[in-house]
Amino acid sequence: MGLESLFGGEGFLTTKINDLVNWARKSALWPMPFGTACCAIEMMATFSGRYDISRFGAEVVRFSPRQSDLLIVSGRISLKMMPVLQKIYRQMPEPKWVISMGACASCGGVFDTYTLIQGVDQFIPVDVYVPGCPPRPESLLDAVFEVQKIVQEERLDSGKHGR
Amino acid sequence: MAADPAPAIPAAPGDVAPPRHPARKALPSPLDLLVLGETVHAGQHAIFVRSPAQRPILEHLRRAQGFDFLKDVTAIDLLGRDEAERFQVIYIVHRLADGSTLRVHAWLPEEADSVPSVFDLWDSARWGERETHDMFGIVFAGNPDLRRFLMPEDYPAFPLLKDYPLTGRGERRQFPLVRPRGDEMVEEAPLPYPTSIGRGMHTPEYIEEVKRESKPKPG
Repeated sequence: MGLESLFGGEGFLTTKINDLVNWARKSALWPMPFGTACCAIEMMATFSGRYDISRFGAEVVRFSPRQSDLLIVSGRISLKMMPVLQKIYRQMPEPKWVISMGACASCGGVFDTYTLIQGVDQFIPVDVYVPGCPPRPESLLDAVFEVQKIVQEERLDSGKHGR
Repeated sequence: MAADPAPAIPAAPGDVAPPRHPARKALPSPLDLLVLGETVHAGQHAIFVRSPAQRPILEHLRRAQGFDFLKDVTAIDLLGRDEAERFQVIYIVHRLADGSTLRVHAWLPEEADSVPSVFDLWDSARWGERETHDMFGIVFAGNPDLRRFLMPEDYPAFPLLKDYPLTGRGERRQFPLVRPRGDEMVEEAPLPYPTSIGRGMHTPEYIEEVKRESKPKPG
């Protein structure tokens, strides 16, 4: 009585390598937290026991961009921080995806001032935006599901995955 | 005793003849002559002087009266407020022994070259003066390390000046767009982006408006 019973008793299945790799990748996202403000508190809640992002395979949080493939920008990004964020994004190996969490990262939020970037998507590509100020953990979980949908649709020959 | 050479700052309504702060009473009379006025608001005392007179007063507070803690150095830009001078440089000094606090406001004209640094009295003045320089462009003569503090090294302006637009002059749009493409990262010009729909608080038009409205109405 195990997984093999789902395979119709034959003990094997057929699929496409594209789908299999994407399925593996989306089930084991490695987040890189870029927490600069209150959104990071909600992000930490999402990572910990009560909301438990590990149920969806994204619990291995790495504080080194070289070991991760999902950048979560959660918080205000200032003029001085933007080069750091770009450097960290460059340091992540491909393929990689980006969540812009909360109003500030997505559009500057209420801080329409001289020093605050009005949306990180001006300067790095963003896959999923999370509304809210700050968003609840459920919203971030939903964003991870959206990233998983994007990952499942990736094509291995698209060039995003290296040569 | 010489007559007070500078006109006194008029006291705000409700601040008629406030009780003097003990630290001001303890000032020797040559220093007390430099004090233009004193206000009390919510129990907090502030004395007003004209820069650079704050330097001997702060020196006395530190060396003779034991004010051993400089809480902050900051400034106010009063552009458009019809005040005698444009800036006030503010020192908040504190005595840990009895919890006594005093604010020293130093009026500073726009055309002044610098104010004297007090880093030799309190080490914490190094950072307070650096931050005030970063935000207002005020030069603290004698501070050995007057670099940018919060803003990037190459920032072209002093952002807390009232004639500097709230949303800046395009500095926050200066980065390239980084995109992945195969193995290499490419940089492109940033995406076109709508300019701010918010109203900049401190545009020249806004300052003119404030000046017009702050003029006393006839009659």
